[in-house]
Amino acid sequence: MSELIVWVHGDCLSPTNPALAAYQDAPAIFVFDEALIASWRLSLKRIVFIYECLLEMPVVIRKGDVAEQLTRFAERHEARRIVTTPSPSPRFKEICAALQQKFELEIIASEPFLDYSGKLDLARFSRYWQTAKKHLFE
Amino acid sequence: MRRDFADRDELIRYLKVEFADATALDDHVSSTRGGRAAAERTLEKIDPPRYAATRNNLRGKVSRLSAYIRHGVLSLAEVRDKALDMVRSWRDAEKFVNELAWRDYWQRVYAQIGDQVWIDREPYKTGFAASDYADDLPADIEHGTTGLVCIDAFSQELRETGYLHNHARMWLAAYIVHWRRVKWQAGARWFLTHLLDGDPASNNLSWQWVASTFSHKPYIFNRENLERNTERAYCKICPLYRRCDFEGDYASLERKLFPRKPVDEDWGDRFPPARRNGRKGGRR
Repeated sequence: MSELIVWVHGDCLSPTNPALAAYQDAPAIFVFDEALIASWRLSLKRIVFIYECLLEMPVVIRKGDVAEQLTRFAERHEARRIVTTPSPSPRFKEICAALQQKFELEIIASEPFLDYSGKLDLARFSRYWQTAKKHLFE
Repeated sequence: MRRDFADRDELIRYLKVEFADATALDDHVSSTRGGRAAAERTLEKIDPPRYAATRNNLRGKVSRLSAYIRHGVLSLAEVRDKALDMVRSWRDAEKFVNELAWRDYWQRVYAQIGDQVWIDREPYKTGFAASDYADDLPADIEHGTTGLVCIDAFSQELRETGYLHNHARMWLAAYIVHWRRVKWQAGARWFLTHLLDGDPASNNLSWQWVASTFSHKPYIFNRENLERNTERAYCKICPLYRRCDFEGDYASLERKLFPRKPVDEDWGDRFPPARRNGRKGGRR
């Protein structure tokens, strides 16, 4: 029995993943999202690259429906909490919403590139950079 | 799934069976290795001042970190710190960090708009409507049989290695959208299939930047620009040399490509003669 599991996804494939670092003894899993691979039409070289990253990480590797696989893995470990890292992708949000029906979700971010919580104008890069530059180099 | 493999060949054989559909799309494997160890070795080799001076050239000192950054094998913050640690003044790493910032910027936009990265952010500024552009990528581009040595080489490199230098991406994208009048989405889907660093944020929004649906002007280039930034590698063996589609100055290319577009009065300022690198060579 384990209180929680760590979910590693494709936006944080490092052994320094902050969710893994925070819970080093927790069972961890990565799931190849077969529907996403099909809809993005990813080819073999990307799968090989990701797999090589995973082989340096302490994770169980599965493929299939991500929410379903995570649910099964968490239930097998009698976990009620799933810990992961953030992602801006809409797919990630969907999966999180499905998981939150059954589990408590914790998202741990690594150090941000730009540590700034004020207003950022994203209409054009040049406007973003005007603000970002001040905070990155001062 | 399995974790024990004697070597890379055994891993590849296994994955070809487990991911038969992805393999059927394209079964090349990149020489770029996945993993933190490979990422750290690549990080050790960055050279921010030389990057700033040579990055527009295909032989320039670019970092090759994109796939590692895209998949979070390295965080943008640690690459930023590494770059700043290597220089005496932050100004020597400014261009390098500025390019990292593009990734941060695209990610922030993605967080706001999600799947709308697939939709034109704004109308094309080419004089054409979106409906004037073809839906599908022409087969000669996909297979690298256009007869243009540069374009065919970029197509082949993309499919075989999963990587293209940023400038090659821009040239190839501009050719597809502006010379062949194909919707940027067709090109973006093709890149996503092959690029190890492909993600819908950086990829699609950069395509939109080239197309002019997320910028003020379409990005185009000419033979002179490509020839100089490739050390003539393609032009010198191209049977179409000096009569290819990219021949001419920017003003005449624009008239040819965008006949319905009003004349651009500040065109001359956009490519100062001293550094005609295609908008200072960058992606702006």
